[in-house]
Amino acid sequence: MTRSALPGSLIATLPGGHYTSAEVFAAEQRGIFEAMWFCAVRAADLATPGAYRTVTVGRESVLLARGRDGRVRAFLNVCRHRGARLCTEESGEVRRAFQCPYHAWTYDLTGRLTAAPNLTRMPDVDRTTFGLAAVAVREWLGYVWVCLADEPPSFEEQVVGEVVARLGDTESIERYAVEGLAVGRRITYDVRANWKLVVENFMECYHCATIHPELTDVLPEFADGYAAQYYVGHGAEFGAAVEGFTVDGSEGLERIPTVAPHQDRRYYAITIKPQVFVNLVPDHVIVHRMFPLAPDRTVIECDWLYLPEVVAAGRDLSRSVELFDRVNRQDFAACERCQPGMSSRLYAAGGVLVPSEHHIGAFHTWVRGRLGGGE
Amino acid sequence: MIPVCRLADLPRGEAFRLETDPPVAVFHTEDGELFAVDDTCTHQDAALSDGWVEGREVECPLHASKFDLCTGAVSTPPARLPVRTHHVVIEGDAVYVVLSDAPPNLPPCALRRPVLGEAT
Repeated sequence: MTRSALPGSLIATLPGGHYTSAEVFAAEQRGIFEAMWFCAVRAADLATPGAYRTVTVGRESVLLARGRDGRVRAFLNVCRHRGARLCTEESGEVRRAFQCPYHAWTYDLTGRLTAAPNLTRMPDVDRTTFGLAAVAVREWLGYVWVCLADEPPSFEEQVVGEVVARLGDTESIERYAVEGLAVGRRITYDVRANWKLVVENFMECYHCATIHPELTDVLPEFADGYAAQYYVGHGAEFGAAVEGFTVDGSEGLERIPTVAPHQDRRYYAITIKPQVFVNLVPDHVIVHRMFPLAPDRTVIECDWLYLPEVVAAGRDLSRSVELFDRVNRQDFAACERCQPGMSSRLYAAGGVLVPSEHHIGAFHTWVRGRLGGGE
Repeated sequence: MIPVCRLADLPRGEAFRLETDPPVAVFHTEDGELFAVDDTCTHQDAALSDGWVEGREVECPLHASKFDLCTGAVSTPPARLPVRTHHVVIEGDAVYVVLSDAPPNLPPCALRRPVLGEAT
């Protein structure tokens, strides 16, 4: 059936090839992940000077490290000399410097080239010019965001703007004091599906009553299929008998004290394109960071954030974490179920979106718009 | 005596490289002591003045060899030969070194003259 032949209730998705093609994925790496602000790490994971993490952003490996001055910096994880990968570990701690294991070019935590064999006999080699290549960095919500673009877009427009578009203002998220919360639990999901399937899944709730029985019990309005993200400023209300955002509706943890009364007993979900999902509930915040690694593979790191005293006291978070861990597993199984279908002849021209999913069409328009750009 | 710098220009924890032949590194330790040694690590051509001082030891920035700043002795390999030490003199606010007469222990690559097309 051609696009024009669709009945009015339905609009087309992207063609299947957009979820499988190496060329499309490469264009997305250039035009989206390497061009936009990308949420890389939780700042508190780099607790002390010398602590580092490496993450994949588009086609690049990016090294993030906390300096002796307390600042987090990001660099391309590539030795300036002959191109060896500088750090091969996902995380770790160096005492003072990063050293390339090939020729021992040595960079301090600001990226400056501090030592290399025979360097003092090459006084014309500038230690900053031939230091590590810096990547733009911002901290927000307790996360370190990086941007690989030569001229990064406005963080306020791209990142903060998405939150404002969803919640109506910035105060609504500031009341959750996300930067001061502590990671109570982190789960990493290795999902065999295209990143856009994961975004689309997060954007709609047409599937909720079918695959999320626990979530629909806690948020009964999800059974109507309209996502919490459908209306600006709307948060889905907890069911009358529900005490907290937990797998069995039992009581949650201590409420974040700055959360407003009208936000209590409600669930807000935000998609910050291209790779962040945030869920706000009165006693915790859930932040997903997606790392698209291949057309059919997306790694998702999900943090459950609570008041620091809740985490420090070793409180039982299991029922709290289990609710969205189940939701994640249910969602990612659905995404993995779709991935093989993307290369079916049936899906060559794509599938269809029902009215409660039509806002996903705007996401598709956005993706297409970004693919024209890049290098 | 060779003038190095003003003491005020060499804060604790810092090093000064004197462009003699071979170059000399003068260290001001966190405890306030001053030491001078050849700046070149005896293992491979690297500047010890770019390294890190802890207590009375300097660690080479390249392969983490450690030398005792008092005696020049190796306390941590891969370096095997001691680094030559020099005498530091302070007069007023001025730092001087008196160079040692002993032969230096320079690494092979710092002695050899570069040859075009030379391979490892």
